[in-house]
Amino acid sequence: MAGATIWKGYIHFGATDVPVKLHTAVREERIQFHLLHRRDRIRLRQQMVCGYEKQPVPSEEQCKGFEVEDGKYVIVDPAELEQIAPESSRMIEVHEFVKTGQIDPIFLDRLYYLEPDTSDIQGKGFNALVRALKELDVAGICTWSMRKRSYFGALQARGKMLRLSTLRYADEVIPVRSLELKDVPLSEKELKIGSELIEKLTAPFEPGKFENEHQKKLQEMIEKKARGEKIVVLAPRRLKPTGEDQLLRALEASLKKAA
Amino acid sequence: MASQGIWSGTISFSLVAIPVRLVKAIDPGRVSFRLLHKKDYSPLARRMFCPEEETMVPPDEIIRGYEIGPDQYILMTDEELESVSPERSRTIEIIDFIDMKEVDPVYYDHPYYLVPSKGGEKAYRLLVEVMHRTKKAGLAKFVLAEREYLVAVTPRDGALALTTLHYSEEVLPDEDLPPQKGKIAAEEESRIRKTIEHMIEDFDPGKYADERRKKLMDLLATKAKDKAPVEAPVVEEEEEEGPADLVAALEESMRKVKPH
Repeated sequence: MAGATIWKGYIHFGATDVPVKLHTAVREERIQFHLLHRRDRIRLRQQMVCGYEKQPVPSEEQCKGFEVEDGKYVIVDPAELEQIAPESSRMIEVHEFVKTGQIDPIFLDRLYYLEPDTSDIQGKGFNALVRALKELDVAGICTWSMRKRSYFGALQARGKMLRLSTLRYADEVIPVRSLELKDVPLSEKELKIGSELIEKLTAPFEPGKFENEHQKKLQEMIEKKARGEKIVVLAPRRLKPTGEDQLLRALEASLKKAA
Repeated sequence: MASQGIWSGTISFSLVAIPVRLVKAIDPGRVSFRLLHKKDYSPLARRMFCPEEETMVPPDEIIRGYEIGPDQYILMTDEELESVSPERSRTIEIIDFIDMKEVDPVYYDHPYYLVPSKGGEKAYRLLVEVMHRTKKAGLAKFVLAEREYLVAVTPRDGALALTTLHYSEEVLPDEDLPPQKGKIAAEEESRIRKTIEHMIEDFDPGKYADERRKKLMDLLATKAKDKAPVEAPVVEEEEEEGPADLVAALEESMRKVKPH
């Protein structure tokens, strides 16, 4: 089952409005731990602490500031923030369409499924929009606001359905150049053997084949501990890094193994 | 980025092993506000606090507990957690290479970067380059803190990006959503199609980030006219952030509570 409807609105572009309902696309169920104080097993809480006084600060003594230069802040009060908060609206406004291949996946954040809102009798165009997006292989770049937050997203067709991904803002993505990676020369031979190896190790993507086995093992360990059984602690496997001078040999041996 | 990383270990494919660190690829804080103390304008930091003792608790005094009843917990040390899947807690072993185009974006969860640790630079460069040439991504499983992740490793601008993927059981099927019934009127479709064709542009995410920033800057500019910025007291750097994995786990849990 697709998730419950979380929001209703309409997609607006040009002179067209398509009423839709938003559903969540992913449901995560994981074993949850709490953080405890080791010596008295008291459950800890998160607390905002003053960096200067090293003391917890209750919410009424907190304020919001924007850092204009190192250590200097412009204080903004909640009423002013309210002013720039997005007005609530039911509109997903499409500003432009882009070729789907142009969207760098690093921008993709949360994904929602859209269904036509048939309770709106004015509403139509859903199927036509799906078809057009598909045939033109484009995504609609749009903005909307939901629960007092503004979102930036991409509207795409998938099968007979529409999907809406929220996108991360460009200034939230850390550029690769800030990682300061060194350029290391590689020989054509290393590249050739490496590429061959990758081609040999390529398989189709079958997500169903991967189960979260770890979750089950973790559950078993918890149960074992609950029964008071002793746990044998195993050291994590650590691989010996392949040295620079061994790289070519390791690639050749890998290729032989894969053959 | 002087970041020591969220995690450190090895990424391997076949017989090649590369020492790496996992670092953030997303930093949502760059155009957002910081919480400050009204009294002295010092920035606030999120810390774990013991309500009983009313003290801050340093990372080395924190332990994970699984709740089995009210105030009853099964304690789990980091070593025990690593021991659940010892083959995966320090190694990202690429099982298969795949064509990233086959991966439905519904699986994408969170992106990170991998950076080479000392001695791994050359093999790292090679993996980036050959994946780029062959247009492939590496598929692996690895364990970080209490979670096991299915991940895709891809080349991005000369670096290795690591994206956590959802397991297929977490992805809700969309087939059961009812598509609209009825025939598509040909004229309606052609009208919609024309509108779209007129609106095709190049993808430029910077534009939207700038708009958001501008709105904020406009507000700040009007503020700055009335009042000069305040200054936070200088604080000595904290020596230690604590075990990287725990910090990562905290960040992860924060990311989860973020309203969506």
